[in-house]
Amino acid sequence: MGRGVTTINWVSRFMYWIAGAALLCIILITVSDIILRRFRTGIVGTYEIVGFLGAIVVGFSIPQSFLDKAHVIMDSVTKALPQRLQKGFILLTRFLGIAMFGIIGWNLFVMGNELWRSGEGSPTLHWPVYPIAYSLGLCCFVECLVLICELSQELKRSEA
Amino acid sequence: MSITIIGILTIVLLFVLFLMGLEIGISMALAGFIGFAAIVNVKAAFSLVANDVFTVFSSYGFTVIPLFVLMGQLGASAGIARNLYNSAYKFIGHIPGGLAIGTVMAGTAFKAICGSTTATTATFATIAVPEMDRYGYDKRLSCGIVATVGTLGAILPPSVVLIIYGILTETSIGRLFLAGIIPGLLVAFSFAITLFIWCKINPKLGPKGEKSTWRERFASLPPVIWVIIIFVIVVGGIMEGFFTPTEAGSVGTLAVLILVAGKKDINLKGFIKSVMDSLRIACMVFILLAGATILGHFFAVTRTPYTVAEWLTTLPVNRNVIMIIIIVVYLIGGSFIEDLAFLILATPIFLPIAVKLGYDPIWFGIIVCVTCMIGIIIPPIALNVFLVSGITKTPIGIVYKGTFPYLVGMSICLLILLFFPQISLWLPGLLMK
Repeated sequence: MGRGVTTINWVSRFMYWIAGAALLCIILITVSDIILRRFRTGIVGTYEIVGFLGAIVVGFSIPQSFLDKAHVIMDSVTKALPQRLQKGFILLTRFLGIAMFGIIGWNLFVMGNELWRSGEGSPTLHWPVYPIAYSLGLCCFVECLVLICELSQELKRSEA
Repeated sequence: MSITIIGILTIVLLFVLFLMGLEIGISMALAGFIGFAAIVNVKAAFSLVANDVFTVFSSYGFTVIPLFVLMGQLGASAGIARNLYNSAYKFIGHIPGGLAIGTVMAGTAFKAICGSTTATTATFATIAVPEMDRYGYDKRLSCGIVATVGTLGAILPPSVVLIIYGILTETSIGRLFLAGIIPGLLVAFSFAITLFIWCKINPKLGPKGEKSTWRERFASLPPVIWVIIIFVIVVGGIMEGFFTPTEAGSVGTLAVLILVAGKKDINLKGFIKSVMDSLRIACMVFILLAGATILGHFFAVTRTPYTVAEWLTTLPVNRNVIMIIIIVVYLIGGSFIEDLAFLILATPIFLPIAVKLGYDPIWFGIIVCVTCMIGIIIPPIALNVFLVSGITKTPIGIVYKGTFPYLVGMSICLLILLFFPQISLWLPGLLMK
């Protein structure tokens, strides 16, 4: 399990770097487009490229942001409960998180399949849209693995 | 089962999930998914969650969020806030409570490039509190003002809260930015007045600092001028239609990066940290937005917002009373759930009511943001108070006590803005016809 956790942490960190690179690409492309527009040669399809990069920025940040506990929770009630109940709620919420990300990830793959079959592309550049759906689905599955690792670590701690 | 009962059960489920400690964004997505499946069918609910996540994450308009967050993080990491604080300190540090009033001035100026309340609070907790400690300022006063001044990030442009409100309600972000300027300055002024009165009553709370020469004062001004230039480029660019908000975010971020890199105020490590911190905050916001979109689609099927709007607008009371009820709901909701999360959850429900009552959506956005500002520092969930307490190692109770005097000023400002909408709407009306 230890190796699995290390691998997941590494994958999450790697994805986070990709998200960071995508964010910087958005800045570069947008600013270049503004400058080139002054010369009447703006970058065609900036709107779509930025949208696609935005999906990478957010999607690829999900696993690391959950590892960093960056998300908003309301724990004032559970904190006041006895330790055993607290642990029970942690296990339950991790399980619900896995279920939700599993559902979203699976259906993003279904959506990707449909987009692939229909050959739907972006309006201006006609770039295929399905890779974005698959990428986001993949991010959700990695997030499931992050939550599974947390769940198993929590279970181990409960046994100890 | 009728749609109304499913609607009520889903709302109950949502709050149970919140109380269990599940992430707010995931709670909204899960409750929305289950409710939608119960009303329409499971297959449609599967399709809904995938579509909503895909649409929110790949939306061009939403990319503005990480960009403005990065702009603020860069400014915070590179010491721009410290320079602004030094400048304000040199001008008014020598009067009683001057360091604290300087914090208000520097915080207000820093908001011109930083849209994040937490980044501002954390930055000033690191810079201003030790300085005020050095001059023997009372901890209530020093920690209280730092926790409070960070709230200005919710209203002064380029506020991330205003951007999210604009995207959620499809109102012009440029107009919202302009509408936030005068109310933001009004609230900042109320902080300065509160400090002045507090130190006048008890001068021991905020002793005088050293007096600077006029030469020192003018020498400290260039960082302020740079911030004003970047602010004018960003907000002026949106206002004049040169940029979309996303483009303005990119231009502003690049301008701040060039400024801080040119002055060697940031190294590669600091830059990477800023990018990573921005991703973390942006991801948190996007998960909230995706969850709220799924829940919003469920609400649309149940027609809950319209039913609530119908009911509230037919109440035999003045429309201002209804607006005060809405504000109280925001305050109570924001006290128990994080304020931004509650804004994302509640705005799609309350905006139709405000519009139906004849209020301007831009004005409503400002009212919601000022309400959020109050919510950020009132118990039990007061993010800024926790942050200041953690950074300065001061007991939470002392920080809370320090924030209470400013709540009076903020509440008065809220009432002024409520009864005089032209204060918010005058500037966008004048500059964006």
